[in-house]
Amino acid sequence: MTGGVALQAAALAVLVAAGATEGGAEPHLLAGAAHFRAERYDAALVEFRVAERLGEPEAAGYAGAALVKLERFEEAVETFETASPGGHPLHDYYRALACYGARLYSCADRLLAGLGDRSGPRIAEQARAIRAELAPTLEAPPSETSLAWYRDRCEARRAEGRAALAAAYCREADALAARRGAATRAAGSDGAGPPRNGG
Amino acid sequence: MLAPLLALALAAIDPCAPVEALSPDAAAAQAYRSVADAELAAGARDSAAAAYREALARDPADEASRSALARLCVARGEDPFQDGLRKLDAEDLAGAARAFEAAYAADGSAPAALLGGIARFELGDDAAAERLLRAAERAPAHREEARFYLGLLALRAGDGTRAASLLEGAAVNPSLASPALDLARLARRDGRLVLSFLAESGWDSNVNLGPGGPQGVAPESDGTASLSASALWRPQGARGPYLRAGGLWHELARLDAYDLGGIEAAAGWQLRGGNRGAAAEYEYAHRALGGEDYLGAHRLLASGWLRRGRAVATGSYAVRFESYAGNWSPFSGVLQRAEARVALDATPRLRLGVAYAGARDAADEPVLSFWEHGPRAEARVLLGRARLGIDLGLTFRAYDAFDVALGDRRRDTYLDGAAFLEVELADRWSARAGVVGRHALSSVGALSYDQLAPSVAIGYTLGL
Repeated sequence: MTGGVALQAAALAVLVAAGATEGGAEPHLLAGAAHFRAERYDAALVEFRVAERLGEPEAAGYAGAALVKLERFEEAVETFETASPGGHPLHDYYRALACYGARLYSCADRLLAGLGDRSGPRIAEQARAIRAELAPTLEAPPSETSLAWYRDRCEARRAEGRAALAAAYCREADALAARRGAATRAAGSDGAGPPRNGG
Repeated sequence: MLAPLLALALAAIDPCAPVEALSPDAAAAQAYRSVADAELAAGARDSAAAAYREALARDPADEASRSALARLCVARGEDPFQDGLRKLDAEDLAGAARAFEAAYAADGSAPAALLGGIARFELGDDAAAERLLRAAERAPAHREEARFYLGLLALRAGDGTRAASLLEGAAVNPSLASPALDLARLARRDGRLVLSFLAESGWDSNVNLGPGGPQGVAPESDGTASLSASALWRPQGARGPYLRAGGLWHELARLDAYDLGGIEAAAGWQLRGGNRGAAAEYEYAHRALGGEDYLGAHRLLASGWLRRGRAVATGSYAVRFESYAGNWSPFSGVLQRAEARVALDATPRLRLGVAYAGARDAADEPVLSFWEHGPRAEARVLLGRARLGIDLGLTFRAYDAFDVALGDRRRDTYLDGAAFLEVELADRWSARAGVVGRHALSSVGALSYDQLAPSVAIGYTLGL
């Protein structure tokens, strides 16, 4: 992933520069991009947060990317949850990494699957690698304990007042429950039920 | 698990450095201060320091930012947790453990308890590790990680039941589930008393090691069946004294003269500390061949290992005082063997190893005495609940004296190969299919031979 940092940061800088004007939030976005490119993610986060406070709606997505780099995955998930949907593949990629880091594997897989060819060959390759890594986990029927873990997380984060993050964990629990239900039905119909021949 | 904390330590922003003034900008300063307060509330001191510095640079009259930076500056100098992270990064495990313990003592920090516990675990200080990990276990955010290491501690102490329970508790966390469940399965086979049984059936292409060809004894093949059992008692777990006993019976379908039976008993002591360990053992073994007394042997063994990152270096030395019975008595003597081995976890599922061994057999009869040495390579691949293994070895053996009966001073070269697939059938049951083979070349043509022996086995291991 390190090899992709410069590429991703350069793309970020180009994106920001395209809309940059004097004063307001834009200089902070540019400064954040420069810090991000230099791998000073703490400083980048600060600049993106300032840009956000000065009214730049796009800044939340970049702050999410910086939080991913700082491995503050839960905060990154929260940030992406509340960010305006940018639709840029880099945002989706970092959002997927945030989900992955927060153990929201279904979320990560869904976002990576949605990247398609929009992201460029390098990120597409990394996305494929992560999806391949996730595949065994996502294909196995989830255990009761895993399900309970996500529900507990959901409740705990809700109790802390972190509603967006709690919702992400609840959605993951729901996705797991659906997979578990499908697996149970598949196992139950494996020779045990009547043949479904339409008759 | 340590990576995020280490990354934070390495990227630390100095809150004590002088702040250079920029063009005044009250709105931006206010935004920076707001970000700084939020970051500090989230426990992110470095980004908080960066934001306070920017606020102060744009508003030198901002006393709130100045005071916050001053507090961060003082806290950084006195923060044993940060000190622990720096020492961990410098691979000073003992220093890191002390710093994390100080951090935990100061404010009951659960991350400090967890990292201190892990450092103490790595150092082999199990009592201190358990105390800290128990403290970390009380914090929901670190409960599973703490239970994972508590499970490893229980495993080290030989308490397989408790280890399995703790590791299953850790497996609730999805990111720990895979290693924790694998270790829990192993833990159920571990304990202070471990009983193992193995039943095996196979075929041996060349029981009598005949070379074949026009001048040699024809190889005789036969079906084989084996039963073996062993018991290991470790009253203090993986460290300290142990007793071991075992027995085996290897029966051939037709060639009864090659039926082999044996019993053995051993007493030893294991030392473990941090990334190194050592063991010493005495063993007595007795063997019967074809239903008759064959061999009695006393063996002394010393071994040690050292881990560095993903690599483990192992050394061992054994001396065996062999006493053969009846017509075999000229083979009696002293066999010594030493081996150096390095294994590397190339990936989490692939372990590669290379070894070099040398041996000296000083038999009573000089023509039977020899030196031998040679390399060995091995690979182990984890495939879900199965394990694939491949071994290759080359041995060069040179006998001491000219053998009048053979008309030569014998020199042999052995090429050995083995492959096996082990499958975990259930918690305590495993199945194994494998094949071993040897291609032996000798300066005496009648002593060259080839041998191939495939087998299947089922094993049961119980840890109590």
